[in-house]
Amino acid sequence: MGTSDLDRQIEQLKRCEPLTEAEVKALCLKAMEILVEESNVQRVDAPVTICGDIHGQFYDMKELFKVGGDCPKTNYLFLGDFVDRGFYSVETFLLLLALKVRYPDRITLIRGNHESRQITQVYGFYDECLRKYGSVNVWRYCTDIFDYLSLSALIENKIFSVHGGLSPNITTLDQIRVIDRKQEVPHDGAMCDLLWSDPEDAVDGWGLSPRGAGFLFGGNVVSSFNHTNNIDYICRAHQLVMEGFKWMFNNKIVTVWSAPNYCYRCGNVAAILELDENLNKQFRVFEAAPHESRGVPAKRPAPDYFL
Amino acid sequence: RKRPRRRQREALSFALEAPEEEGGGGGGEAAAANTSGMQRVKVYRLTDGGKWDDRGTGHVNIDFLEDSKELGLTVLDEEDNETLLMHNITSEDIYRKQEDTIISWRDPEVATELALSFQEAAGCSYIWDNICDIQRNIQFNNLGVGPRPTSVSLEASRVLHSNDESFRSVNGELRELPPVELSNLPLILKTILEGGITDQMRVAELITQDREFFPKLLDIFRICEDLENLDDLHMIFKLVRGIILLNSSSIFDKIFSDEFILDIIGALEYDPDVPKVQKHRAFLKDHVVFKEAIPIKNVSVVSKIHQTYRIGYLKDVILPRVLDDGTLASLNTMIHSNNAAVISLLKDDSCFIQELFARMRLSNISMESKRELVLFLHEFCTLSKSLPLVQQLRLFRDLSGEGVFDIISDVLQSQDRKIVSAGTDVLILFLNQDPNLLRSYIVQQEGNSLLGLLVKGMVTDFGEAMHCQFLEILRILMDSFTMSGAHRDAVIEIFYEKHLDYLVDVIASSCPPRNISRASNSAGNTETEVNRTKPEILLNVCELLCFCIVHHPYKIKCHFLINNAIEKILALTRRREKFLVVAAVRFMRTTISRNDDFLIRHVVKMNLFKPIIDAFVENGDRYNMLQSGVLELLEYIRKEGLKQLIIYANESFWDQLMKFEHFGSIQAFRLKYQQYLESAETKLSANVPDIRKKAEERGLEKEEEDYFNEDSDEEDSVRRTKHAQKQDGGAKLTNGSEADDVSSRPKSGGLVDYADDDDEDFNPPPKEPDRPEEDDEPLTIAKLKRKLMNSKVDGKQSDGEFHKRQKIETRITSVKIGASTNLVSKRMDDLEKQEPRSPASSSSGSEANGVFGEHSVHSEEHQRSADNTEASRQAGGDCVNAMGNLSTEKSVNTTNTNDSEPYSVR
Repeated sequence: MGTSDLDRQIEQLKRCEPLTEAEVKALCLKAMEILVEESNVQRVDAPVTICGDIHGQFYDMKELFKVGGDCPKTNYLFLGDFVDRGFYSVETFLLLLALKVRYPDRITLIRGNHESRQITQVYGFYDECLRKYGSVNVWRYCTDIFDYLSLSALIENKIFSVHGGLSPNITTLDQIRVIDRKQEVPHDGAMCDLLWSDPEDAVDGWGLSPRGAGFLFGGNVVSSFNHTNNIDYICRAHQLVMEGFKWMFNNKIVTVWSAPNYCYRCGNVAAILELDENLNKQFRVFEAAPHESRGVPAKRPAPDYFL
Repeated sequence: RKRPRRRQREALSFALEAPEEEGGGGGGEAAAANTSGMQRVKVYRLTDGGKWDDRGTGHVNIDFLEDSKELGLTVLDEEDNETLLMHNITSEDIYRKQEDTIISWRDPEVATELALSFQEAAGCSYIWDNICDIQRNIQFNNLGVGPRPTSVSLEASRVLHSNDESFRSVNGELRELPPVELSNLPLILKTILEGGITDQMRVAELITQDREFFPKLLDIFRICEDLENLDDLHMIFKLVRGIILLNSSSIFDKIFSDEFILDIIGALEYDPDVPKVQKHRAFLKDHVVFKEAIPIKNVSVVSKIHQTYRIGYLKDVILPRVLDDGTLASLNTMIHSNNAAVISLLKDDSCFIQELFARMRLSNISMESKRELVLFLHEFCTLSKSLPLVQQLRLFRDLSGEGVFDIISDVLQSQDRKIVSAGTDVLILFLNQDPNLLRSYIVQQEGNSLLGLLVKGMVTDFGEAMHCQFLEILRILMDSFTMSGAHRDAVIEIFYEKHLDYLVDVIASSCPPRNISRASNSAGNTETEVNRTKPEILLNVCELLCFCIVHHPYKIKCHFLINNAIEKILALTRRREKFLVVAAVRFMRTTISRNDDFLIRHVVKMNLFKPIIDAFVENGDRYNMLQSGVLELLEYIRKEGLKQLIIYANESFWDQLMKFEHFGSIQAFRLKYQQYLESAETKLSANVPDIRKKAEERGLEKEEEDYFNEDSDEEDSVRRTKHAQKQDGGAKLTNGSEADDVSSRPKSGGLVDYADDDDEDFNPPPKEPDRPEEDDEPLTIAKLKRKLMNSKVDGKQSDGEFHKRQKIETRITSVKIGASTNLVSKRMDDLEKQEPRSPASSSSGSEANGVFGEHSVHSEEHQRSADNTEASRQAGGDCVNAMGNLSTEKSVNTTNTNDSEPYSVR
């Protein structure tokens, strides 16, 4: 796969036109070779723009790129949950993956709890692949790549980024590095917690998560983690925030949410977090794409049929 | 413009006042007794100053006004019956309904805004509906169509409205549609689009009853199309779209019939939101090809086939953006039931399947015809999922009986990759229904060639355009976690006998030789040779081998020990592709996870950690998946306390590992080793209380592992004590070692109870699934262990404790000797094995078990999916969609998903 092929595919995906199954397979194989070299705690250099959940809302992601700038000019870090719920999970994930293959040092993708075989069969990505391609092979290629996505990111050794949150089994970043991440998201344990946990004001220490996976954690847990690992704050996603972003625990942890009008009905705005070379913060808030851009896309009709 | 907006905002505040009024209580008892709360309103009038003036509280009615023949709103004061409001309802669009309890309008007579604030939302809705109905009737009268009330009707209405307890209106129900004429299209469209749910149902009913509605409408459509009258064509588009969105099954039956469906689709080509006219009919007629691979004589079946495709086209291509969930579900239901009808009619035609297979067996058939027949079979089997489950099973068994697997065997040997892919899809469908059908065929087949084709297909390069599901098929065939009967074991036996070595050699032959480093891989010939098989294929083979380790631990263990397969597979660490090196590490991790003493000893003896550690060292300080994988492997060994491996790895590789001592995992690993060295120096007869303690804490299988670990400890002790001594002969050596152990054990000295390691990170792995009793070995061990346990339980406290301890030790020694002898004997049996064992149970018995097992599997899958659903339900935070039922295919995919993991995720 050459650079010109990749550029053509990126332009095609930007028009929300899916790739062929063969192109998806080749793209995923190339992405595998790149992602296998990334750490469970992937180093990211500033300046960088951090993005939260996208959930298949492709046209809203285009709004995000309008606000934040195109890759590779802007260095991006996406915190997972690229798929499910929205109508365009295929185009969304494949565009981000193609950008990763084309500009591996200018975009970082980490895994969310929806980057999972079990979750995607329930919340839409599986059905979308089946509808758009007529088979589940693309779903298989993509879910194989999910296993290679990194678990977290560390920006200039000062800002820790993860999809969900913390784990009682993790006190140091080195403990994250020891996880063998190539697996389906487990139902419990450190890897599960990183992708599923939530901060909670009312919790002191650790609490039971109503999601059924991960934990609730309180401010003292965050303070201890930040102090032990000498980081300034944690940046995570995973929870809908009506204003796009939300600080907690005296600015020790921030939630960034990047799917505006979530599920096409929540009416929320979305945000991305821009960090300049000195780690100065600026939240850029944006709204959903204009109405004309959304709606269920037309399926490519089968050219012939027997029954 | 700003003034109306401010007034609207003022009006909204009424919602707060109405409840207060209610709290204040009504007027006199007489008035309350005669009126309903639904009619109670406050009348407001907007003053020139922009404020709402309270004009009083009363009860509202819709009735004929005194000086007019028109219906109007009348509000009478609730105390003195004085008229507060009289308003002639007009057809102009001046009325607004706000906040469920307010109706407002700009009254042309008094030239200002008026508003009614209702005490109850139901009353507001009722009056609002009446206003809308009256407006429609006025419009009908003005247009000269629709119901024309007679004097009798007027009188009846008056009587009804005079009854304050009744709010039913004769005029409330739509009586008939306007005639289908070009000039009436706007009115028909308005009728369809603007009614409430009850009106929509009435409209659907009227359309269905009118046999001339669609013929006339589509006649108008064709005329407009001939005249290229775009405005009216756009109107007809909206009309047809609106009719579809009524979601009426009787209307669907009409418009999707052969008579109308293409014209309906034609009308939908004129979407006013799309600049260019679509070409749906041309596409359906000219580009889409109905391939009648085999003649279908039943004309109704052919008609249903066409209808199904066109409904699918309308659903997926023409209207996906506008269909609501209800209509979409209805269309899917129609497609589903059509598919079921087609498949059912075809399968019940006894000649059809026979003719299909007879044609496929013809040797003189053209390649094109053969391809079409295979793709037809693929689609036939796929659509059979629309049938009820019992009928699906019966159909698949009939297909098996007719020889479908012979057909697929031929297909898998074809040069046409597309039909090979279709063939694997068909096999997956059978396996999802009843895996024993295919297993039974493989076992009985002469030479078992289909299984060989599957294995060979897995390592064949089909190019990037094709994905053939050989790995998925093999995994389902050999899944030992499902209770699927004897055929499964027979298939596994054949696989190990004939095909496992081949797969291992595919890996070995694709990796650089040991004496060539990666740096010099650029040599031409070497490069060509080692890259013969594609890396993604090697990845699949490695994944299948990990699957086998998890599912068939005893079979694969014997195989690995005899053929040194592990070393061959670890040659993947010398590949350039890092994901293959990571796969090799995972393979070793999976092997170690079995906690099998023989495998662990084999790893130590053959120095199999060397390629792993070499890859780790060569990776240097780069943080990546390879580094994480190796560190996790070492962490696992440490936390599980796999003493042999800890000692082996430290003594063999510390010179290399010490460069990475800054990692906490490496430090902990070294510390564990040092602890073992220290404890070895003061080791006494501490094993007895340890065994008892562990027996109390863990299950039988864990005891088994401890038993082997203890044996291993003895082995290590012997090796260190008699380092210079070398002996041959397994059985004899074992006996001799045991005897020497007994004699060399100190007979005096106090019992020392060592504290447990303080390992906060220790997290026991999930319990292993019950192992299949593929041979007698686990049963024998279990019996021996149980005997050992009994002896412990029978122990009594007495002064003769030392003597008892001695007796226990003697029994332990005897048990070890017996067990070791048994194991050696078993190994000899394995070596001498030439033929696979035949299944003991009968075929019918297997089928019965298969059916039962299948239900168990489905139940288990459903439960697992339900658990996932519960966990997933919270995933989206505030927005969780209702969970639909998972299809069987998805449930099976869940199984496949789990099977693809080297570790259990339960």
